[in-house]
Amino acid sequence: MSIIPQLIVNSIIAGAIYTLVALGFNLIYSTTKFFNLAHGAMAVVGGYVVFSLTRQLDFSLWLSIPVAILVAGVIGVLSDLLLFRKLRERKASSMILLVASLGLFTAIQAMIAILFTSQFQTLTTGASISTVYDVFGGAITQTQVVILATGLLIMAGIGLMLKYTKLGKAIQAVGDDEEVAKIVGIDTNKVIAIVFFIGSAIAGVAGLLVGFDTGLEPTMGLALLLKGIVAAIVGGVGSLYGGVLGAFLLGFVENFGIWHLSGEWKDAIAFVLLILFLIFRPQGIVKK
Amino acid sequence: MEYLIHLAILFSIYAILGVGLNLVVGYTGLLSVTHAAFYGIGAYATAILSTVYDLNFFVTMLVGVVISGVVSLLIGLVLSRFDGDYYALAALGFNIIVYSIFLNWQSVTRGPLGIPGIDRPDFVSANWAFLIMSALFLIAIYYLAQYLGKSSFGRVLKAIREDERAIQVFGYQTHYYKLMIFVIGAMMAAVAGSIFAAYITFIDPSTFTLNESIFLLAIIILGGLANNKGAILGALFLILLPEMLRFVGFPTDIAAQMRQVVYGLLLVFLMLYRPQGLMGEYEL
Repeated sequence: MSIIPQLIVNSIIAGAIYTLVALGFNLIYSTTKFFNLAHGAMAVVGGYVVFSLTRQLDFSLWLSIPVAILVAGVIGVLSDLLLFRKLRERKASSMILLVASLGLFTAIQAMIAILFTSQFQTLTTGASISTVYDVFGGAITQTQVVILATGLLIMAGIGLMLKYTKLGKAIQAVGDDEEVAKIVGIDTNKVIAIVFFIGSAIAGVAGLLVGFDTGLEPTMGLALLLKGIVAAIVGGVGSLYGGVLGAFLLGFVENFGIWHLSGEWKDAIAFVLLILFLIFRPQGIVKK
Repeated sequence: MEYLIHLAILFSIYAILGVGLNLVVGYTGLLSVTHAAFYGIGAYATAILSTVYDLNFFVTMLVGVVISGVVSLLIGLVLSRFDGDYYALAALGFNIIVYSIFLNWQSVTRGPLGIPGIDRPDFVSANWAFLIMSALFLIAIYYLAQYLGKSSFGRVLKAIREDERAIQVFGYQTHYYKLMIFVIGAMMAAVAGSIFAAYITFIDPSTFTLNESIFLLAIIILGGLANNKGAILGALFLILLPEMLRFVGFPTDIAAQMRQVVYGLLLVFLMLYRPQGLMGEYEL
């Protein structure tokens, strides 16, 4: 039996997850112009809130998921209000913002490890092993179908929001030039806070989906975030569809790259792809 | 007493790493998040050459420094194309790539199993003697860094940090200077790696992850960028901190996470209230 259909399925699933992380990262980057490393922590928060509610407090899944997404979004907003906004107002360099977000990320990840131990946890209970479908010779689980559908749905939602709503236009205006946006009467701080909410909530979705698909670990945030950033840069920073293209390209390159190598090389492959792009096509696939 | 000597040796190793990284970050303003890779190259050179080929410790250190210099030259050539966020990201990528090589090149590094039974040189078999040797290395590297900072080379670097365009106008090949200091910093890290391998006598890839690079960055940002004393103070503080947490009575695994919480928050508060660190001359 050929292994290629399975590799394609795996690549698409990985691409869908990276799409979600890249979407949120891109939204925040395009309005604030700094690499928000704390974004990875929001994915971990999303996953662990679901874990805590369903496994420790016996809440139903349908209540836990929206709560987790909300919590991730709110923590994202708080990170902006309490930290990044203050630094922005002081006109701190993007390096300072990057280091601050790195510190915040490290602290949140370690707090989660203290609360939930650093052991690997799964969100799916033993009884409900999800159905497996066969697609042209590749196996895909029900969870993975949900991942794919969610990824595409959120991408379309964000795309429509940016294009057709007043909020979307305001977000783009702040991204183009914050000063000018202020002059024409946009409350830029409010827009950025909303962007933090949406972006972090999407990261929360990504985190809990990973939890259902493979499982949770406090350290998963950094890996997810780095893949999201690689996807965003390879696709073209600040470009919504570029990020999606980058995410799927990364998914395919990674999964086909480890075809003849061990899975441990995945991260190295992702960064080789990033460095090649930075050298030969720094503007990414879609130039903005 | 043994315990204090142990802490002092660890402090010397991290202070060497801090001084080397500070030369890169403090003097050029480029956020190099790949220092643990060169630390690892030094450690692996000593580990492999002393266990497989039975070479003298100082020879293994020299080989480690040379390999680290060559690798950092190649990485630096790529990195010199970037600045700002992209530099940090590409540097971080190289750390992950080098870590993957430690982990997966099993015929040489034994992968996740690590390398046990590394020889410690006979004349430093006692811990206090080992401490004296590490301290001498630290002092030598500190004065080398001081000398570099005060030399015309160091002044050009500071000028690059303040205004690269302006110094280019005077005919300086700025990328050459940035590359040189990157290689020097990496070679210093390899020295620390050799000392670490000979001291602990066992190494595995998990010591040389991205997290270690971030920890080193925290050391120099806390101490203060572009100040060699600051790098040493930062190392002292961040080495002693987890030990204090241990005395407060946290269990070991929680103490390890508490250390992460504390230094994460420390970075946040430094960026908010004192971005130049304790004794720094330069803000990111």
